[in-house]
Parts: sequence; C-alpha cells; structure tokens
Amino acid sequence: MSAHVVSMRDALYEAPGPKMRRRIRVVTIFALALIAIGIALVVRQFHITGQLDPRYWTLFTRTTTWAFLAQGFLGTFRVAFTAGAIALVLGLVLMLGRISEAAWLSTVSRLVIDFFRGVPSLLLIYFFYLVIPKYGIKMPSFWMITLPVALAASGVLAEVFRAGVNAVPKGQSEAALSLGMSDSKIMFKIVFPQALRIVIPSLVSQLVVVVKDTTVAYVVSYPDLMQNARVLISNYDALVSMYFVVAIIYIIVNFAINQFSIYLAHRRGTKIISRNDENPV
Amino acid sequence: MGIQELFSTYGENYLQALVQTWSMTAISFSCALVIALAITVFRVSPIKPLRILGDFYVQVFRNIPGVSLLVIIIYALPYLGLTLDYKIGAMVTVTMVVASFASENLMTGINTIGVGQIEAARSVGLSFGRILRHVVIPQAVRSAILPMTNLLIGTLLTTALASQVPLKPPELTGMVNYVNSRSVGGIGAFFISAIGYAGTSLVIGYVGNLIDKKVRILR
Amino acid sequence: MSDAIIQMNHVDKHYGALHVLKDINLEVARGEVVVLIGPSGSGKSTLCRTINRLETIDAGEILFEGTPLPQEGKDLAAVRAEIGMVFQSFNLFAHKTILDNVTMGPIEVLGTPKAKAREEAMELLRRVGVDSQAEKVPAQLSGGQQQRVAIARSLAMNPKVMLFDEPTSALDPEMINEVLDVMVELAQQGMTMVVVTHEMNFARRVANRVVFMADGAIVEEAAPDEFFDHPKSDRARDFLNSIMGH
Repeated sequence: MSAHVVSMRDALYEAPGPKMRRRIRVVTIFALALIAIGIALVVRQFHITGQLDPRYWTLFTRTTTWAFLAQGFLGTFRVAFTAGAIALVLGLVLMLGRISEAAWLSTVSRLVIDFFRGVPSLLLIYFFYLVIPKYGIKMPSFWMITLPVALAASGVLAEVFRAGVNAVPKGQSEAALSLGMSDSKIMFKIVFPQALRIVIPSLVSQLVVVVKDTTVAYVVSYPDLMQNARVLISNYDALVSMYFVVAIIYIIVNFAINQFSIYLAHRRGTKIISRNDENPV
Repeated sequence: MGIQELFSTYGENYLQALVQTWSMTAISFSCALVIALAITVFRVSPIKPLRILGDFYVQVFRNIPGVSLLVIIIYALPYLGLTLDYKIGAMVTVTMVVASFASENLMTGINTIGVGQIEAARSVGLSFGRILRHVVIPQAVRSAILPMTNLLIGTLLTTALASQVPLKPPELTGMVNYVNSRSVGGIGAFFISAIGYAGTSLVIGYVGNLIDKKVRILR
Repeated sequence: MSDAIIQMNHVDKHYGALHVLKDINLEVARGEVVVLIGPSGSGKSTLCRTINRLETIDAGEILFEGTPLPQEGKDLAAVRAEIGMVFQSFNLFAHKTILDNVTMGPIEVLGTPKAKAREEAMELLRRVGVDSQAEKVPAQLSGGQQQRVAIARSLAMNPKVMLFDEPTSALDPEMINEVLDVMVELAQQGMTMVVVTHEMNFARRVANRVVFMADGAIVEEAAPDEFFDHPKSDRARDFLNSIMGH
C-alpha cells in the first residue's frame, strides 16, 4: 500500500494539532536557549581558567605535532588491526569448539569464551605486563598490548560468530545434507560463508571496542595515539587542549567505524549483533 | 607465591577490592540508568534540539575510549576548575559511558514495540500518557532486560579503569599491581582477580537470564 | 443527509509530492456498510485512516456525527473511542493477555469497573469465538484468532462506526472466512462499517455500497451487484478483469 515507513520515535507522537504545535514551538525555543547558554558557560569556563590562551593551542598549527600524533595513530592502528585479526581467527576456533558435538570440547570452549568475556581487557593486559615477564618470557611491548586485547575480543567474536551460524536458516544445511555433503563440508562451504555475511556488520562494530582497548597501551609503554599525546603534553604543557583533541580524534574514528558497520548492515538487510544482544555468559 | 599464601597475606585486601569493584559497579550502573532515562526521553521527544542533544550525547560517549574520558575527568577538569575525588572521577567516567549504551538499549526496546500497537492504542481512545504507561514502557523495559544484563557485566568490566588512578582501597584490577609491587604475585594474583570478575559476570548473567525468561514478551 | 454519520467534503492530502487523496467526497449513513476497493496505491487505506485522524488531511473537512473531527487532545480521544478500527496486522498489545487486550479500553478510557469490563469482554470473546483463549498472549494465537480478538477489542468500546483496514490481507487463506463471518454478523446486526478489502464475495454479501478508488480519487460508487456486474468506468473494468482473471 502507500504506507510510508515511520520510525518508532516519530510514531510515538502523532501529527500535532494547532495547540500542540504552539507548545512544541515554545519548548523548542526554550530548549535551544538552554543549550546555547550551556555551551556559552562551557566556553566561558575555558576562558576564565585561561585554557583558551593561544599557547595551549598554537602547537596544533605545527605539522610536527600532527606528524607525531599520526605516528601514534599508526601505532594504534597496528595494534587494533593485529589484535582484530588474531581475535577473528581465535574467535572462529572457539566458536567451532563451542558448537562441536564432542561434549568435552564444547565445555572447554564455553569456559574459555566465558572467561574472556567475563574479565576486563585491562586485567589481561596486566597479566601480560606484570606476570609473564616474571616467568622469564621477554615479550616486546607491541605483543604485550596486542595479545590481551585480542584474547578479550575473541570471546565476544566467538559469540557473534555463533549467533551468525544460528541465524543461517536450517534449510540450508538440510538441503546440503540431502545432497550427501559431510558435516564439515556443510559447515565450511554452506553455513559459514552465509554466517559470515550476516555478522560482518557486527564484526566491524566490534572493531570499535578493540580500538578503545588500545588506549591502555601506555601501561605497557607502547607508543600509540594516547601515549604520543602524553609526550606532546609534557613538551608543550598543553594538557587540556591535547586531551580534548585526542578524545575528539578517537570519537570521530570510532564513529566512522560504527557508521560503516551500519552501512554494511543496511546493504545486507541484516541487523547488527552487539555484545548487548546475545545471551549473557 | 601460591594461592594459599596469597590468600593468607592479602585475603582481606582482596575482599575489600571485591567490595570496591561491586560498589562502583552498582552505583555507576544505577546512575547510568537514570541518566539514560533522561537521554532517551530527549531522543524520543518531538523537540528537535533535545533529540539532537540526546543523540549527540550517545555518539560521544559510546565512541570515546574509557581511558581518554578518564584522563579528561581526572587530569584536565581540575585545570577548568573542577577537581573530583579519584573514586568519584572514575565512577563518573564509567557512568557517562554506560549511560550512552543504556540509552541505546532503551531505544532498541522501544523500537521492538512497533508502530501498529501505538496506532491501535490511539484508535481505542487512549491518551498519550496512558499509551506510555500501559503499552510503551512495560514492553520497552521487558525487552531491555537481556541487553541491560549484558551492560551490567560491561559496567563491571569497565570499573577496571579505576586501576589507572590511585584508589584506596584498590579495586580488583588494581590489586594485581598492588600485590606485584609488594611480593612476587605471579599468576596467582592475577587469577584471584580474574575469578572475582568472571564469577560475578556468571552470576549476573544467570540471574539476568532468569528474569528475562520470566518477563520476556512473546512476539 | 443529516443521517450521515461520517461526511468527507473535498478532502485532499499530499505526501510530499505525491497527491494521495484528491478531492474526496464521501458520506456514510448510519447502519451502512461501505466497501472501499481499488488497486494498490489508490489511497483507500489512507482514506480509511483519515476518518479517525491516524492520518491528517491537508484540505477539506471530515465530519463525525455532524461535527468536524477534533485535531488533538481529549476531544480527539473521545471521538476515537466511538470509532473502532481493525488493522491489517491486528496490532494486539503483545504483552497483555487476550482478556486484558479487550478490557484495556473500557477500563482506561470509559472508566468501566474491572469486574464489569471483564464480564463484558468475555461475552465479546464468546461472540467472536475465542473465549477459550482469554488467558493466552497474542503470540500464542493464530492470525485468524488474533484478528477476531482485535474486532472484540474494538467492539468493547461500543463504537458507532467500525473501520476495517484490509482486515484479512495478512491472513492465511483458511483463516479468512472465520474473520469474514464475524464481520458479516456485525453488518447484519446493523453496525456502520467502512471496510477496505479485496474480498469481493464479502462485498457482494453485505455491502450497501462499493466505492472504487484509483490514484487517490473516487472513480465510481454503486451498489455491489451493479458495480461488479456492470462497472461504468474503464478503470473499474480493467481492475475487475485483472482480479477476476483466474
């Protein structure tokens, strides 16, 4: 029919009549005024504490500053990318173990997945940073941050993969069975490719979590964006401005990744399975 | 140091750390829910500036890394005239981030209701207030139980951020540092903290699942 | 003409650039059963939904019992309480039992005491044949059963008019008749009905008038037999041929 699709948040309020429209206009102007005042107060606070002084901001006009930040960002990117790749492989392995018919494998996988989903990545990072050296293993700082981040993400990814596998219509594997395919062939040639397509948007949005986790790299003294920002701060004594700028960079990067995953989801017509959707533990 | 030894030496500290972690989780989560309620009301209202404000809040605080926000609150805000106690600063960080995800969960809950039921309620003659009370809110809340359970676990894990500031007593993650700076903790120290987190996660997940099974709406 | 319970005069509506209702003039008398038919996109659903203001209009007026439709607030809610609506996708309240679905309106809007509301609701559910499902939730019922509950929910408000927006289009074929039977009974009991549907046999049986719409305008109006057997316009003829084809 001629139905135009309305989102829930627009449908909650029906088309306003004249009185309602007037009220909405009044409240809108009021809200705008309050927001403007809020922004003004914040800017004023920056001003009276001297944070708007040019000496805190001119460093951003120098290319050396941005070059150094870019280096740091490259470090972030390296960690995130590597950790993401490892987490994908590990997550896949764990998922396969979890859904296997062998009870022992399924239980062990489940324990490992729940363990990695149930502890903070920061704790895992401390394990690699404080505990592993005590056993004589010398690990470069890159791996000290990348491995724990990968492990933490692998637990979540394993569940995302599993949700994807469950989302593939049973008819697919039934049809393959009736063609005489073996179980492993069915999994790898029929089910998994489709599951992958379904969960790609979710995988991409998990990347955001990985990027966020990288910000603890300073704990292991690995030069990522945060770490390089700190160096610049000690050089230029521009703490407030630098921390805000770096925060904005992270927000934009993560926002872009999320938007990309939404775009992927729309193209496929699937929805994004996030950590919040699946069953807890 | 074996686990036995660790327990006898640091047992009390670990207990305090566990309580510290639990209390931070509970307080942050509750505050986050209240903030999320306000944000969601903004995002759903017919007033455009409020919608934009709510959406902006969510985008900023779901995309900012916890550490980045933490350093701003603990180290940058004092320069702007606001100095917060370490524990409060850490909790504010956790709260603000969790609130954005909580609002997303509420929005998802609202979206699962579907426009049709709202129209049906309107056609019966129910007022907007009644529609909210009898149709929207009960369903949104019941649909949000599972995502909120996962978010509570997420909050628990996010409190580990507090290990980056000097907290007395330290919470579970900070304990690994604490023990390692005083003795050779080895795997044991890490393990006890890990069990603290994993165990709590399991219990939260179990209870959440139970509640969800009871109140879940069949569609 | 003062017997008209619904009057639409020169109603016009646009969705952006799309002209979805073009100068609609329609009257529905008390006790009449009017069937709206036409191809997809003809505006028949939209027309039906403007009657209880689920859709707004850009020009013209809609009168209910002689007074213009209120635009908002308590007055609009009060009018809606007197106009029942049954939707294509049933739209039962998913979190409430069947009985609670039917009693919600009377209790919250009409102020009927709970016990009386439940009694009357059970009677209505008996009438439509789903009283045995009273304590279940909508997801546990078939589509046909859900739609019958939806009809009971509307009837519980004692409406003066009932609007049906493609009530059987989302149902599996074997369940269409159970719903149509209920609608036929309603018609025979004198309910004023405006029905958007593709069910021609239903129209022949109980409609007083068939209104054929295309491209947002009313093209033809006639008694069912006259319309189906001797359509006057080419548009109507083409439409009837295309659906009677098999």
